[in-house]
Amino acid sequence: MTGIHPPGGSFTRRTLLRAGAGGLGLAALADLAACSNDSSGSSKSLKMLYFGEQAQATQLQNRLQPQISRLDPGMKFEISAINGTDWNDFLAKVLTQIAAGTPPDIISVATEGLQLMASKELAIPLDDYVTRDLDALKEYFADIHPALVESMMYQGHLWELPDSFNAGNMFYSTGLFQRAGVVPPTPDWTLDDFETAATRIARFQGINAFGWVVRLWGSWTSFMYANNANLLEEGKYDGGDWLWSKAYAGDAAAAGRKGGWKWGAPTANSEATVEALDYMIELTRKGLSPSPDVGGGGTLQGLFASNRIGMSIGGGFWAGGLTNAGMKNGSFDVTMFPRWKSQRHLFGAGGYAIFKSSKKKDLAWEVLKLLVKPDSFDLVFPGNVTTPGRKSLVTAARYAKTGPKHWSVFYDTLTEHPDTAPIPAPPYYNALATALNQRTTEAISSGKAKAALDGLQSDLEKAAGAG
Amino acid sequence: MAVVTAEVRNTVVKRHRHPAAHGEAPFGFAMIALSVLFVAVFTAIPIVASLGLSFFSWDVISTPEFVGLENYQRLLHDGPVLKSFGVTLGMAVAIVVLQLVLGLGLAVLVNQRRLIWVRTAFRTAFYLPLLASTAAVSIFMGYLFDYKFGVVNYYLGLLGIPNVPWLTSGFAAATTIVLIAVWQQVGFTFVLFVASLMSVPTDVLEAAQIDGAGPLRTLFRIKVPLISPTILFAAVVALINAMQLFDQPYIMTKGGPGSATTTVTISMYQKGFQNLQFGYGSAIAIVLLAAILVITGLQFLAARKLVFYR
Repeated sequence: MTGIHPPGGSFTRRTLLRAGAGGLGLAALADLAACSNDSSGSSKSLKMLYFGEQAQATQLQNRLQPQISRLDPGMKFEISAINGTDWNDFLAKVLTQIAAGTPPDIISVATEGLQLMASKELAIPLDDYVTRDLDALKEYFADIHPALVESMMYQGHLWELPDSFNAGNMFYSTGLFQRAGVVPPTPDWTLDDFETAATRIARFQGINAFGWVVRLWGSWTSFMYANNANLLEEGKYDGGDWLWSKAYAGDAAAAGRKGGWKWGAPTANSEATVEALDYMIELTRKGLSPSPDVGGGGTLQGLFASNRIGMSIGGGFWAGGLTNAGMKNGSFDVTMFPRWKSQRHLFGAGGYAIFKSSKKKDLAWEVLKLLVKPDSFDLVFPGNVTTPGRKSLVTAARYAKTGPKHWSVFYDTLTEHPDTAPIPAPPYYNALATALNQRTTEAISSGKAKAALDGLQSDLEKAAGAG
Repeated sequence: MAVVTAEVRNTVVKRHRHPAAHGEAPFGFAMIALSVLFVAVFTAIPIVASLGLSFFSWDVISTPEFVGLENYQRLLHDGPVLKSFGVTLGMAVAIVVLQLVLGLGLAVLVNQRRLIWVRTAFRTAFYLPLLASTAAVSIFMGYLFDYKFGVVNYYLGLLGIPNVPWLTSGFAAATTIVLIAVWQQVGFTFVLFVASLMSVPTDVLEAAQIDGAGPLRTLFRIKVPLISPTILFAAVVALINAMQLFDQPYIMTKGGPGSATTTVTISMYQKGFQNLQFGYGSAIAIVLLAAILVITGLQFLAARKLVFYR
């Protein structure tokens, strides 16, 4: 130790290190204290997480604030937007926020995240609240298709009140169909009709007959559903009678409904699933469809709006999306997804759940009821950016400005095709979505559906085991 | 002679005396305190925390469960993750080589310009992409190279060249990402090389000229050896950056098609933040850190023979 020491009494290196360590210790304690506080925020604010842009969230927050104030004067409603390319991005960010010690009171989440939330017990079952307020909610349930409610159930419990959904229908450009001399499709059209139309549209240079994106909802998965296949074994949880026997007594559409979808062993490399993905590869080979992008479909809507795509899978949200992208009413229309082995459609629903960590669960429940009221729908979703879950809201007046002409297809998908089912979103949805995206792009670029889906099967088996 | 020796010894002693002896220590410590705190909070502690977390199974929501070396054992048998190490290494080598070669080439060309404003203009032009947000650049490039409606394919189409699957075919996607990363990062090596080339003594260059050395011989026999410490520095920094490639492949291809552009950082993000396996994600991060340390160490070993210190 031959080093020269600083003059006595001055600031030593050791002192600095001690001070630094002390400071870090205090910072760590402060963090821990913050985590142990009321994790759902200050006592006079009710927090909600929402998938979208903050500007929209703030607008919605301001619109709903007067109604929240009537429920609890002085209560501040705060909506935080989280954006991402798709629901797996959204959920990853939500979970990170929870890990950071700032969970919300209410979360707006779609089918994609329901079982993940429920299985991790992040939310609470709404069974007791629904049972208590069933009289007040009878009008709501009478207006909501039971398929949507069942998609929000898990292990016999109801975890969310649904307010919206989107089924994978087929949008088409009326102008391109006319130019190609193709008769607009009827609701019972077949896959052969689809391909014939696509072949005629593909003759135009710079036009893609059919465009799609790689994701779980409304991707090649729609073809898979129409081919009576799935990525996972389908089943249903027992239970749910507490709701069906009371809220849907005598409703034929509720017959056979149970306690939510039970997604079993992976079936990603089954013959019919491989056949569906092979069909997509064939479409690409024949020049009827370009290589798809991964993501939520915003770009696809832009291409469709600029008349560069003849057909694409879309739900009610496409009406608003295409209008916002500059498409005029009448320049696009919608029909059912074409029949293959069946005309089974897939759908995803949206709704609201209460976080388990919320200290204001009763108030949050009142807000949930408010959010699913008919007059709240357009406050939350202005401009047809999704399909109303309430049938009474799916009207000619709603689509008078935006189109499409055959808007009734949106709800008819649920009523006329009772085999229509939610997308397979098990508790390990995020891992499933990541693997699906990766294996789909692999199949399209290599042209080998079976090999890619064997890989997906293995990925899903691992994810199911890890989950 | 003895007086001279004593003076030299005094000077050495003075030069080696600790600044604290002059009462400068508090000021010095205060000056570095913020940096030390910054590095501790945002680098050192997260590394230690990641190391700790890599021995646990943790999904953010449940209590972490100690699993020992299980995450590392799993990594050894995880084909896709191991492949991502290969993809990363391949892309990193391509990026570093291109960045060094292009950066040096451009620096030599610019250095030959005698007008100062021309040099300044080139330096600014090549450095500008580095200042742009990588995420913004990636989104923009994603549109440019889009198969269906990208500007690049549009102009190729005007020349009668069919659409190129820039981002939708495995090899093309990896190549496109490498080129974009090089385009954005080359300004860094370029600026370093320009400065370094300017410091090459003119008398050495003049002597070479008198001895009849041509431009290429001067470059490879005199300039490159003289700036080799800068080349080493640029190579180390470029490799460390390239091994952590994330934004470009994540935004433009999401790691696809298939796993053709899935880098280690994307694997880590997917396992940790998307699949909620934070312990496993941390183990991947630690192995990546170790890999970077080893490769950097190898670079320094090689430098003992290849780098010339003046």
